[in-house]
This record gives sequence, C-alpha cells and structure tokens, in this order.
Amino acid sequence: MADTTVSHKTPEPAPAEARRILVLLDGSRRSLAALEAAADIARAQQAEVLGIFVEEVSLLRSAGYGFAREVGRSSGVARPMDVDALEVRMQATAEKLRRALERTLAPWGVAQALRLCRGEVVEQVLGLVQPDDLLVLGGAGWSGISSFRLGSTARSLLRQAPGDVLLWPESRSLPPGRVVVLLNHDQGANHRAVRVGVELARRGQRALTVLVRSDAADDREFLEELAAMLEAGGISARVRRLPKAGAAAMARAVREEGAAQLVISRQCSLFEQQGAESLLCQLNLPVTITP
Amino acid sequence: MALPDALTEAQIYHRCPLDKLDFETTESLEDLALPFGQDRALRALEFGASMKAQGFNLFVLGPSGAGKHELVRRVLASHAAEKPVPSDWCHVFNFQQSDKPGAIELPPGEGRLFKADMSELANELKTTIPATFESEEYQARIQELQEEVTRRQQQGLSEIQEEANANNIAMLTTPAGFTFAPMRNGEVIEPEEYKTFSDEEKELVESKVEDLQKKLQQAIQQVPRLRKEVRERVHALNEEMVQLTLGGPMGELREKWAHVPAVVAHLDAVREDVVEHAEAFQDTENGAPAGLLNRYRVNLLVDNAETRGAPVIYEDLPNHQHLAGQIEHRAHQGNLYTDFTLIRAGALHRANGGYLILDARRVLSQPMAWESLKRILFSGEIRIESLERLYGLATTVSQQPEPIPLSVKVVLLGDRMLYYLLSHYDPDFLDLFKVEADFEDDMERDEASYLLYARMIATMARSAGVRTLDREAVARLIEHASRLASDQNKLTAHDRVLKDLLTESDHWAGVANSPQVCASHVQQAIDERDYRASRVRERSLEHIRRGVVMIATQGEQVGQVNGLSVLQLGATRFGQPTRITATARPGKGQVVDIEREAKLGGPIHSKAVMILSRFLANRYAPMNELSLSASLAFEQSYGGVEGDSASVAETCVLLSAIAGVPLKQSVAVTGSMNQHGEVQAVGGVNEKIEGFFNVCRQDGGVNSQGALLPASNVEHLMLNESVREAVQDGRFSIYPVTHIDQAIELLTGLEPGQPDADGVFPEGSFNRRVADRLAAFAEVGKSKDKDTGQDNGNGGHNGQS
Repeated sequence: MADTTVSHKTPEPAPAEARRILVLLDGSRRSLAALEAAADIARAQQAEVLGIFVEEVSLLRSAGYGFAREVGRSSGVARPMDVDALEVRMQATAEKLRRALERTLAPWGVAQALRLCRGEVVEQVLGLVQPDDLLVLGGAGWSGISSFRLGSTARSLLRQAPGDVLLWPESRSLPPGRVVVLLNHDQGANHRAVRVGVELARRGQRALTVLVRSDAADDREFLEELAAMLEAGGISARVRRLPKAGAAAMARAVREEGAAQLVISRQCSLFEQQGAESLLCQLNLPVTITP
Repeated sequence: MALPDALTEAQIYHRCPLDKLDFETTESLEDLALPFGQDRALRALEFGASMKAQGFNLFVLGPSGAGKHELVRRVLASHAAEKPVPSDWCHVFNFQQSDKPGAIELPPGEGRLFKADMSELANELKTTIPATFESEEYQARIQELQEEVTRRQQQGLSEIQEEANANNIAMLTTPAGFTFAPMRNGEVIEPEEYKTFSDEEKELVESKVEDLQKKLQQAIQQVPRLRKEVRERVHALNEEMVQLTLGGPMGELREKWAHVPAVVAHLDAVREDVVEHAEAFQDTENGAPAGLLNRYRVNLLVDNAETRGAPVIYEDLPNHQHLAGQIEHRAHQGNLYTDFTLIRAGALHRANGGYLILDARRVLSQPMAWESLKRILFSGEIRIESLERLYGLATTVSQQPEPIPLSVKVVLLGDRMLYYLLSHYDPDFLDLFKVEADFEDDMERDEASYLLYARMIATMARSAGVRTLDREAVARLIEHASRLASDQNKLTAHDRVLKDLLTESDHWAGVANSPQVCASHVQQAIDERDYRASRVRERSLEHIRRGVVMIATQGEQVGQVNGLSVLQLGATRFGQPTRITATARPGKGQVVDIEREAKLGGPIHSKAVMILSRFLANRYAPMNELSLSASLAFEQSYGGVEGDSASVAETCVLLSAIAGVPLKQSVAVTGSMNQHGEVQAVGGVNEKIEGFFNVCRQDGGVNSQGALLPASNVEHLMLNESVREAVQDGRFSIYPVTHIDQAIELLTGLEPGQPDADGVFPEGSFNRRVADRLAAFAEVGKSKDKDTGQDNGNGGHNGQS
C-alpha cells in the first residue's frame, strides 16, 4: 500500500452549474430525509428541485383484485386492499409532498415543483432524468426488510440513471469526516468520480481521500494521471492503494478513513461482487454514484 | 461493771513499723505484676478468660477507681498473647442477591492481599476487556454475524419473491407492506382482463397468492426471532471473548487462592458477572462504568495483619453502631446511596476471636446497645442492623450483610449495684455473664503485706512517672491506706485515691525541690486535700464557735448530751457533734422520737429509739406499767437523721432526764445499743472523734475532754496526729464501752448499780434513781387517772396526747 500526497498549485473556481436536482419521493421518512439533503445542495448551487412522485400502476392494479391483501411489513398482518382507498392515500401523499417541498425550499427562493406520474417508477424516473441532473434517492439500506421497498427500484436506478445518483441515508445531517472516492485503477470513468469528490470536498471544506483498488503492478501510469487530475482540481488529497479485496475489506477501509461521504463510480468492479450494495448501505453514509 | 481504761495512742493509730520496710527508696523495689489481695477477682478473671463454653462472659464488679480496667487489660493481654490470631473478614458483592453482601473468612493478614488482588483485577478489566472488543478479530466476527443475519432475512423474502415470479405473480411493496398480484410479462394484469380468465386459472392464481401471503407472513414473523438469535449469538461471542481475556488473570488468582474455597467461588462468580456484563465494558471512551467495577472490589472489614495474638479491644463509646457495625450512606445529589463497600465493622467484629472490654454503665446508657449486645451474644453471630431499622423508622432498601460468626469474650466493667440490679431485673443477664469477678475494696494488713503494698506503691509510682518515695513516705502512705479503709487491719485497694495521693505528693516534693517524695510531702498532700474539701466543715465549726449552733464541751447538764454524726459531701466525710436532748414526765410508757414525728428521722433511727424504749421498760419496770412520756430530739438538726449510731447517747440522755442526773458535756458519745443494753459497732468513728476534737480545740482548747465509742470499733481507729498528741498528753480520752452502764458511769460519775435478786437497784446508784423516779411517775399517773375517772370517766387518753 503506498500513500501519496498530491498538493495543488492554483485553485480553480467551481464551475457554475445549471443542473436540476431530482428527488424521488414516496412520502416515507427516508424520502423526506433525501428531500432535506437535496434542498441543502440546491440552496448551495441555486439549482432547481424537482420532486417526483410516481403513482405505481401495478399497485393500483393489484388493489383492484378482490383477493388482494396487504401484508404488514413489520407485523405480518394481512389486510384487505381497495382501489379507492389507495387512490385517496396517494392523493393525500402527493399533497403532503407538495407542502414539504414548499416548506423546505420556497423560503430560500429555490425553484421547486412536484411532478406526479403514473406508471412504473424506474421507467418514469428514467424518462425525466437528464445526464446532467443529480438524482437523489432516500433509503439507507437497499437491502434488509426495512428498506425492501426501495430495493429493486433503487438498484435499477443506480445502474441505469444517466447522471449522478446520490443515495442519502436516513440521518438528516452529515457527520464530520472525510470525503472518500473509491476507484479502480483500470477503469475509464474515474475522471467524473474524482471531479465529484473534489467538488464535495471543496463545498463541505472537508479532506479528501482517494482509495485505489489495484492488483496490478502497472498502476504507476494511473497514479500519475490521478495526481494530474487532483492537481487540476486544485486540492490536496490522500491517495491509498488497496488490493482488490472483498467488499467487507473495502467497507472497513472506508470506515478506517473516517469517511463521511463516499463517491464511487458505477463501473467500479466492486459492484460485480455479491452483497456489495448491501455493504455500502451498512456504511450508512451518503453515497454518490457517478456514471 | 468495771470501767474501761482510756485508749492509748498505740491503740488509736496503727503505725507502720519501719523495720518491715526493708528498702531505702521505692527505686529498689520490683514491679508487682498483679495487684495483691485481689485473689478472688483474679481467679475469676483467669477462669473467665480461659473458659471456652458459651455464656461465660465476665462481669467485673467493684467500686469505680479500683483499677479494674487496668487489671482486666493486663490479665487479658497475657491470655490473648498465647491465643492464635483470628481470621480476617471481608464483605464481597453478592451477584445473586445484590442487597445481601457475602462474607468471606480469610487467614489473618490475607485479607489485605485479597483486597489488593481484586482491585488490581478490576483495574485490569477496565483496560483489557475494551481492548478485546476493539480487536480486529472481534470486529470481523461481529460483522460476519451481522452479515449472516442480513442474508437470512433477505433470503426469506427473495425466496418468496422468486417463487412469486416463477408463478407469474408480482410481489409489490405498498406504503405499509407488501401485496401480490398476477402478472404477465413483468407487468401486473389489469383486473378487467383477469375477469376473462377461466375459473380454474383464477383458482390457481388465488390459491397461489394465498399461499404466498402465508409464507410472507411467516417470513415476517420470523424476524423478531432472528433478531433475538442475533442478540444471543453476539452475547455468546462476547462471552467467548471475555472468557479468553479473563482466562489468564483469573487462572492465576484461582491458583493463588486455591486454599480458600470461598474466594475461589467468588472469583468464579466475578467471572460470570463480567461475562454477563461484557457489553458494558465495550464503551471504549469512558471505560466500564465505575459502579460495575466497584462490585468486584473487596470491603476488608476486619484486618488482623498487624494483630499479635488474640485482640483485646476496648470500646469507649459502646453504642449500637460501634458495637455491631453499621452501614454508611453516601450522599449524591441529595440522595443517599449505600452498597457493600460502605459496611463498617463494629467493636465486636474487631474483637472476634479475642476479648471485648466494655463499661457496663455506658452500654446501658446507649439506646439499644445492651439489647443488641445480648442478641449478638445469644445468636453467636454478628448481624448488622441499623438502628432506624431496628426501630422500624426506615423501610428503605438497604444492605443486609451476611452474618459473621462470633466467638468473643465480653468483659463488662461496672459497679456492684449495676451487677445486682442486672441479675435481678434482666433474665438474660446471668445466662450471658456467668462469671463475676468481684474486686475487694480493701486488703489485709499483716506482716506479709507491708512489702507487697510497698511494691504496689512503687509500681504505681513508676507507671505514673513520679519521683521515688523513701521508706517513711511509703510508711505514711500505708498508714493513710488504713485510714482510707477505716480499719487498722486493712489497707484500701482503691487504686485511684492512692494514685492521686502519689501524684500530689510528687507535686509537693517538686515544689520543695526534693529529689524524693518524703513523708512530709505525703502528709502535705493529705492535708492539702483535706483543706481543699474543708469549706463546709469550717463553716459548721464557725457556727459552733459563735454559738449559732449550741454545743457545750464543758460542764454538766441534765437531759443533754453530745452525740456524734458524720456528713458525707462528695468524696470527703467529716464528723461533727450534735446536741441531743430529752424530756421526761409521767405518761403511758411512751418515748416520742421528735425526729420521727417531724418526718425527719429515717427508719433505722426510729428502730433504734424503739429498741431503747423497750430497753427502758424492760429494765426499770419489768413487772409494772412504765409511766413515762419522754421525748428525744436532735437539736438544731434540719436535714434529717438516719442511723442507729446515736442510740447509746439517746439512752444516756433519756435516763439523765428521768433521773435528773446531769451528764458531762465534755464527753461525746457514739455507738448503737441492743435491747439488753450491749453497745454495738458503728461507722465513721474516726471522723466523729476528730469532729468533736476540733470543736473542743476551738472552744477554749482541749482539756480533759473525750469520747465514748463501742469497744468493737477500736480497731477501726486511725486518728490524726493532733488527736493522738492530745491522747498522749492525757488531754483527750477515748473510752471503749461494751455496755450502756459503762457509758452511764463515765458520763455521770455515778455507779450504775446492779439489781439484786428482787430486781431492786442498790441505794444511791444511778439506776436506783431512775427506778425511783419512774415509780414516782407511776404514782402520779395513777392518782391522775383516778381524778379524771371520777370527773368524766374517759381521761385515760390524756397521757397519750
């Protein structure tokens, strides 16, 4: 493992971005926490916030069956379902979300809107999101029974969204700590991840660590490239090389760095491993997935 | 009856023969290990100290200042030195019942080691256990556990989902849970379309949905069980890690303390407790809570590491708490807390296996102390109970330490009255205090005792750190010891008085710059003590001198005599004469005791007057009626009269009043008398005679005065030097009398006369005069009765008034 410190020469002003922040809302506590996080970012970047509430067609359809029952998530008790009640519930949720958006953003003069759609969640969101947009998803765990609701949806969105995806844990505020960027030395899309990491570090005035997963000895070239990238970003960072160990070792390394935020590329080989996503969840950190 | 001779100087003072004191100064005398003359008390002490059976506790009785305390300590110390050192005792936390701390007995001196070992262990736990929890091994294993559980949770749900998908059924999440619906090509079928399905298809779908719902319900309901399982497995892991960490230190301690099974058992309990509370040690920032670690510490209640032999403990404030121990409380933010570390030992704990010396009066004057002491001695174990609990005033949760078995010999010191009262009124007393060690007030003064007494004085002088005494000083002290004992053949055993006298003599020797204490210093000390206490005596003498109190020491007077009385004020006694007068006239055979009528006389005095009136009737009117109405009074006495020591004087003065024969005022009289006229011994003769002597001396000087005293009192005389000088010069005469007739003759100068065969006294004798006068009274009485009988027939009562 080699530690290299790369220091910057001339700080470069942050690029003024005019991107949107999309928040997927479903009325749950976790999605409201994500809204708060999105609001913070929006206030900092003066970006427009678009809340998305999808009325799931399949759910409405399933409620139409006479035999449909809703099995309680924690009690396991089965209750009958009914289309009318579901519709009412969805309308109430939409109203609640609209108010939450207004309350959270209007006082700061941030533009905000709630988009109601009907259909499949992934489909609808993907239809709305642009490559420059930041998609914020609430939900600490992607796995486990308590977060099963967002499970498959979140997973699909993480893999398919064209832009950055921020996965926000349930906690409302950011703990103190470093920004950690996790890279593979042999993948192409590192620039975006490093850039996002640098930006997060600068915005939050936090220290930055770059963890490089590397097995090969031929990573010299990559490290030089990384140094150049950081230099261009105008920030000093700690760079650590890690063997391509399992997801658990990775999670431990992240924890050891005292990470408060994690940036990881969608193409990172970590995602090929079984259980990697759940491990990321267990870190209980805001994770930004870059394309 | 022959008249007794006046006493010589040798008879009224028993000098200490200097030739019996074979030394120059007390420096050459050896110390006396044990006081002599206390054989009874010593044997009782020896017996009590070595007697093992229960209930053979001691009560040492004797007057205060007799040196009981020191003697008891000395005897017990010699016994204790040969006995083994008793065990150490400590209280430890009881992990089963936290309010009942356990007690552990340890060989003497090992209590400290155990305490040190346990606090070291507690300190070690504080650092090693958190370190274990921080170790990579532990972290990795915990993670594995959590991962496994997560996988199992997920697995259950994904299996159901897969099963649903395989059967073309969608598992959807709702805001509050899950639901199932038939699906085609990944999409939920429209309910309208579903209606077109055949009945068999519908039945198939619905039964499958129902089946899946049931499975899902089961899977969800498994979650709490799974979580519990995780907790249990985490706990098991914690236990395993702690066991491994503790293995080393615990193993060492177990081996070290293998000879005390109770300690080993406690160590095992501690290990179990640490394992049970493993999670509490995980807090790496603050460490384990202090309260948790304190439970592993040891409260060393009795530490006998420094004790040599059996302990001899004296508790000078024997209240309930100090005897039985107490449980203290610590105030924290206005609340009171206690735990086993706040249990404090009492005197009984410390004396366990040895001796406990207590002052009986102090024990009795402390609330509940006596009852607690008895209860503990009966039960043979010390159970700490707070006073407020005993009284039922507090019912808060407190500690109830395990009782500690007791084997102690309690030695109570007290005065005799206390012993007799306790034996009479407390039914438990004699069960618990079977050995009485009774101290002598005084000891024999014989040939052998001179040197022993001298050695005792020498010992006392050395321990008090005073100058050495020369031979004469010791002799003077011995003589004074006899005076203090009020007996020529006794010496006082009163430690305190002698010791005070010694130190005071030393003071006067110091004032006189003498290297030694000489007889003159002892005399000065005696005189100074006497002078310091003389205010009331001087005042009384002054009253007599100025005639306020009328006492005649010269001349003769009918119906008047000088009796002698003693006053006790504090530690000093002094004598003074009292004028006793009598009147006599015809009547119904009555002697009126004016003191008694005025309720100023005590019962013994009344008894004496009754005796003398029967003596009169029997002697002078054996066959006929005694016609007499007499009265007796102590003149100018306002404080009450008690005792029978004036009965000789009263008889004499009454007879003088009847016969009209004057009595010598220069001779004072003391002595009691029985119904036959025999004179019996009385107390305080030295003070009485000296008191009269002092009155005579101030009233024109001593010249042919004297005193009568019972012959049986002669050996009690230890009179002071001025009296002795006057006796030697013949200016003051002391006569020992055995019969009232001798007293009469000495006071009147008349022959009393013995009755002949017919009971008639010889002509001219004193008794004849009395008899004649009484006969005359009888005549008067008869004629008076006749007159009144003729007048009104009921005059018989007149004589009674």
